[in-house]
Amino acid sequence: MLELQGLSYVYQDEQAGYLFDLTAVAGSIVGITGRSGAGKSTCLELIAGFLRPDDGTLKAEGKDILHLPPEQRPVTILFQKDNLFEHLSAQDNVALGINPSLRLNQNQWSVVGQAIAKVGLAHLAKQKAARLSGGEQQRIALARSLVRNKPVLLLDEPFSALDSETRAEMLLLVREIVTERNLTCLMVSHDPNDCSQVADHHVVLKDGRFHLGSEVQAEQRF
Amino acid sequence: MNRIIPLSVIIALALGLLQSQALAKPTLTIYTYDAFAADWGPAPGVKKAFEAECDCQVDFVAMDSSIGILRKVQLEGSGTKADIVLGLDTNLTDVAGKTGLFSPHGVTSQNSALPIDWSSDLFLPFDFGYFAFVYDTNMLANPPGSFEELAAMKGDFKVVIQDPRSSAPGLGLMLWIKEAYGDRAPEIWQKIAPKILTITKGWSEAYGLFLKGEADMVMSYTTSPAYHLIAEKKDHYKAAAFTEGHYMQVEVGAIVKSSQQQDLARRFMAFMVSDKFQSIIPTTNWMYPASKTALPAGFASLYLPGKSLLMDGIRVEKNRKAWIKEWQAAITK
Amino acid sequence: MNFSWLRRSPASSLPGLVAGLSLIILAVSVFAVIYSEGAGQGLTVDWAPVLSVLKMTFFQAGLSTLLSMTLGLTLAWSLSHQRVFPGRGFLVSLLSVSMVMPTLVAVLGLVSVFGRKGWLSQLADLFGGPGPGTFVYGLTGILLAHVFLNAPFVARALLQRLDRLPPDRLKLSASLGLSPWRQFCIVEWPAVKTSFYALSATVFLLCFTSFAIVLTLGGSPAFNTLEVAIYEAVKLEFDLARAVTLAMVQVLVCAGLVVLASSLRNDDGSLGVVSRVSLWPAPVGARVLQVVTIAIFALFYISPFLAVLWDGALADFGRLLHEAAFHKALVSSLCLATLSSALTVAMALAIGGTKRTLGSPLRVELNWGSRTLSSLLSFSGAIYLAVPSLVLGFGFFLIARKLTADVYLLAPVALLLANCLIALPFALVILAPAMEKSALRYDRLAFALGVRGLARWRLVEWPGLRREIGLVAALSFCFSLGDLGVIALFGNRDFATLPWLLYQKIGSYRTDDAAGIALLLLGLTLAVFFLVPKFFDRGGDA
Repeated sequence: MLELQGLSYVYQDEQAGYLFDLTAVAGSIVGITGRSGAGKSTCLELIAGFLRPDDGTLKAEGKDILHLPPEQRPVTILFQKDNLFEHLSAQDNVALGINPSLRLNQNQWSVVGQAIAKVGLAHLAKQKAARLSGGEQQRIALARSLVRNKPVLLLDEPFSALDSETRAEMLLLVREIVTERNLTCLMVSHDPNDCSQVADHHVVLKDGRFHLGSEVQAEQRF
Repeated sequence: MNRIIPLSVIIALALGLLQSQALAKPTLTIYTYDAFAADWGPAPGVKKAFEAECDCQVDFVAMDSSIGILRKVQLEGSGTKADIVLGLDTNLTDVAGKTGLFSPHGVTSQNSALPIDWSSDLFLPFDFGYFAFVYDTNMLANPPGSFEELAAMKGDFKVVIQDPRSSAPGLGLMLWIKEAYGDRAPEIWQKIAPKILTITKGWSEAYGLFLKGEADMVMSYTTSPAYHLIAEKKDHYKAAAFTEGHYMQVEVGAIVKSSQQQDLARRFMAFMVSDKFQSIIPTTNWMYPASKTALPAGFASLYLPGKSLLMDGIRVEKNRKAWIKEWQAAITK
Repeated sequence: MNFSWLRRSPASSLPGLVAGLSLIILAVSVFAVIYSEGAGQGLTVDWAPVLSVLKMTFFQAGLSTLLSMTLGLTLAWSLSHQRVFPGRGFLVSLLSVSMVMPTLVAVLGLVSVFGRKGWLSQLADLFGGPGPGTFVYGLTGILLAHVFLNAPFVARALLQRLDRLPPDRLKLSASLGLSPWRQFCIVEWPAVKTSFYALSATVFLLCFTSFAIVLTLGGSPAFNTLEVAIYEAVKLEFDLARAVTLAMVQVLVCAGLVVLASSLRNDDGSLGVVSRVSLWPAPVGARVLQVVTIAIFALFYISPFLAVLWDGALADFGRLLHEAAFHKALVSSLCLATLSSALTVAMALAIGGTKRTLGSPLRVELNWGSRTLSSLLSFSGAIYLAVPSLVLGFGFFLIARKLTADVYLLAPVALLLANCLIALPFALVILAPAMEKSALRYDRLAFALGVRGLARWRLVEWPGLRREIGLVAALSFCFSLGDLGVIALFGNRDFATLPWLLYQKIGSYRTDDAAGIALLLLGLTLAVFFLVPKFFDRGGDA
């Protein structure tokens, strides 16, 4: 469960600010769409902890997490690109999700192996990340989110660079993971079809604020 | 048996220690210019001769030029390792004397072969020579006979000279022109400037360039052809006779005041004017010995200037800086 | 200045700040020591000779820059159009060597080829034509040497730019039927313009602070640069007052030039991929120009290398290798080069690291404080250009005199610092963009996962930077190995480096030995320059 209340932020050189109010429940995917530059990434960055809000509260599982640095927040985020360190192998990348110094014990390594198998890439575990295709890289990133075991999953258009077939596969995988582990997932996309495919709810970011998907669609009909 | 081995080791070590103590002879460090210290220069012969009678070790340290010797000692100050400096000339003796870095050489009599009267408590002459431009008769049929003629040479005629701030021949050349032309000196320099290939820091570099063929003439000594004649059996190198007369150079040695080996150094000074040292000079340093000694046969054919020029050291020192500035200004135009 | 709460401790930025600040303090102290010496001596300054040296320095630097940039640009243009000919790869990689080559070795090679009795002259004799005469000395010699050392480097840098032109633009100009001149004006020149200006500034400063070349080829006080004048004032004339005046003028003018030059931003090195578009053949005229340019340049550039090889091969290595002075110089040179290489890499990483922290909104709150510190750091990296070798050496010399009688104890320290300062601007140009790129790319990921400190360095930075670090290590090693600057002031029998020994050998007409040492220096330089980066890169991209 994730709650944003009055989370506000203003970029240094911009006039308008953002004001985020949102509640997402566990086991659901909330799709966030909006025009380019509407602020979708800003929202995720605030939640992940890369930006500090000017005001408001942020709670996960009922606990305030605003004071926590990114790696301590109960949040896993997948970016559009550069989700993996290209000089490390796939399994090393996943292992970083468990221990950021890559010091893992037997058990932990087997957990890594299972996660990679779960996303169907066991045969590529030892490959250098740079050698993997776009889709394979994002899958490994997903595998890492599995081992991190964080209740909140943030997706910042991670599949937009993939072809439609792979993208569909990835979305289904996400759906499966979210349901299985009862995660709270926020998924940013510029394509409303992604939302209709897997999202339980749909919000649109407009004028710096969230609006219900259906609301906006209703407006546009006129 | 077991006790003999350690004992013999100890004895061996002790003997070795005694030996090395006995071998620790005093070292006489002599700063001199590069050509003197070179393997083909006087240094090896001098070293051998003096070490034979002094029970010491002689160490020659080469500077890249004669003035460099003085500069080095000035830079090092009282912490210098030099006991003796060898190779300054009379143009520098006044300024050197003023530094207060030298002590009396203690030699009272010298069978002097110098064409002029020259004496000093601190600085003892060991050889002398006359400056002249040296050329190759095979390459240059009609050498100039004066500075004016040099300036008027046609074509790509080039001479290589030395820097008066670092080299004794360089300074000698500047004083030569000054003595011969007085106030007209800057004018002469301006006329010569386009004929100068390059100005080297030391004599060796300049001479090397000349021998390589990069220049037609080099500022050197009337005795330089003797080297080619005697050592190389080549007789096509000659010194150009200038109508203005030729400037002289008297080279001296001195004892460094801060030296720990004052006695040894004085012995060397006496040695320096003796026949053993002086006889080495003509065929290694290619200059005239300062004390009367027999000259090798080849020297007879050398050009001996009719008119020799030499300024007294005090006048040189008083005006040196100003004249160098004048020289620089004339060259830079 | 607020460190973003993402970075719990600014400790990782501390080394860079310390390094940068130390450099600035060093520069200021040197300047202060020199100034106080001058004030103490009661300067009665004769400005005329100082001004004439200044004029000559500007004149020579300006002319050298003009020639180098013109030739460099023409060559880069020619090479970017002539993409296929035997030996192209070799020639292009050789272009980078001129930057790291020991200056004295270059001088020897040039004299061997262009001297009065050199190869060119002998060739001319064969054909009965006029030889180059005494072209290799004096002002023409200085220009020749400067062009030899700078033009290839300029060409290499501009060629890289041209290679990264988006292929679409070239295709467009081809389909529009643009003449080579038009294509150059419209497509190619804009792509290289910023680099061209930045490079001009760098080349100008290098020629302005030129020492070894002017010392050996200038041949007369008429052609002295300020650096050589300082050297002569200290070593030859022992006229400290004069040296002080010259040094102060040098620092003030150079600092001014550096400030001016810093306004010419050099854009980020690696934009885009090398385009392997084979261009439509240009009209005959252009092609002839390109081929002729490349041919003449190749001849002019490679022959001095060959001369050094040839002359060196004839040297008596057996005797040379047994000479004690040679051993000492070799050991000194290698130790110094290794130390200065390590120091340069460390400083460049420290300063680069702090610079990128100060420039990233993720790490630090960007405000005037962070911007000022960032500028200061950039300036500290370029300190050498404001306080060149001889001024630094002179400053150390004065400090040593004030502290202890033995001037030569400080010599190795002065040398080490000077060598590091020379290499630092280049090191930063190579490392800083790479470090910034790495941060831009991986900061979010690293922060999200908590990968920081040693783990970050081990897992993320080092694998990504090893190639650049290898290049910087090789570069600074070669710079140190071939440098004749501070050592000229401090060199003596007990403390010599290979270039100093080489200079001595040249001066005492030991040409065989000199050739042998030159060959050795060249060989070492080439070996290090080509092999060390490979060594660092091993397993990098596997």
